[in-house]
Amino acid sequence: METQKKAREHNLRRIVDDIGGAFGMGAIGGSVVHFIKGTQSSPNGRRFVGGAQAVSMNAPRIGGSFAVFGGLFSAFDYTMVYIRKKEDPWNSIVAGAATGGFLSMRQGLAAASRSALMGGLLLALIKGVH
Amino acid sequence: MAANPNNNRSDHDSDNNNNNNNNTRLYNPYQNFEVPIKSQYLYKLPTSPEYLFAEESLKQRRSWGENLTFYTGTAYLGGSVSGAAVGIFSGVKNFESGDTTKLKINRILNSSGHTGRTWGNRVGIVGLMYAGIESGVVAVMDRDDVWTSVVAGLGTGAVFRAARGVRSAAVAGALGGLAAGAVVAGKQVVKRYVPI
Repeated sequence: METQKKAREHNLRRIVDDIGGAFGMGAIGGSVVHFIKGTQSSPNGRRFVGGAQAVSMNAPRIGGSFAVFGGLFSAFDYTMVYIRKKEDPWNSIVAGAATGGFLSMRQGLAAASRSALMGGLLLALIKGVH
Repeated sequence: MAANPNNNRSDHDSDNNNNNNNNTRLYNPYQNFEVPIKSQYLYKLPTSPEYLFAEESLKQRRSWGENLTFYTGTAYLGGSVSGAAVGIFSGVKNFESGDTTKLKINRILNSSGHTGRTWGNRVGIVGLMYAGIESGVVAVMDRDDVWTSVVAGLGTGAVFRAARGVRSAAVAGALGGLAAGAVVAGKQVVKRYVPI
């Protein structure tokens, strides 16, 4: 309902916010996962250092890939809203499919279509629960 | 986004007393539904954000989540774009004679993509740390001025280089604090003296 949600207008600044949010989620989640992996695969006594090293090697990369995905998704979503001039879950689903396809474009048409399908399904699930 | 506290104070006396100012919008409860009810615009809702407590509405500050996402996003974008630009230059510099156009484009794409990605990731992490520390300091100390930025810069530099040892961390922290202070002071100078 309109009164309950603080309205988030679709503007360009929201794309920056989404990129930042996605990067943060990727970086922090990746940090946790790689810290645990790093501590587990280090010798006794050097566990913390091993974990920290694994984090510093891997967390920026994971944050970056999440940020690319989130940024592309947000940009496509904004474009869809701009073209259709209404707010729908369909915008997000098509944007998810477009992002998936775009990111696998270099592997050829078949891989791109498969990624597009998966991206669209993933966002349909997310938006369906909403 | 800053709150608009101008009209909220009178609202806390009584719940529905919005009619003094024209900062209201008409709301029809059925406007998003397709029901066979002849509905009309019944309610006047405030256009500014509604806050439960008066002190909360007075704070003209971004929430910590907004701070975090905005700083991280701008840092990542800025780092990526500048990294890509530098990468394009280095790609062009590495042209060999006898390269076809396809090979040249491939070189440029590879180097700009690689440099853009690494710079973007690193600057994004710096932005994330800075935003997190600043939001934490603001939440704990309940003030938002130059010193929060300086402390956040200190903390970011220190954590960023923590893996390289205490002395390196201290140096990086000092540099970060100085940089943050310089940026805030520069922003104030620009606001005062540069006619925009």
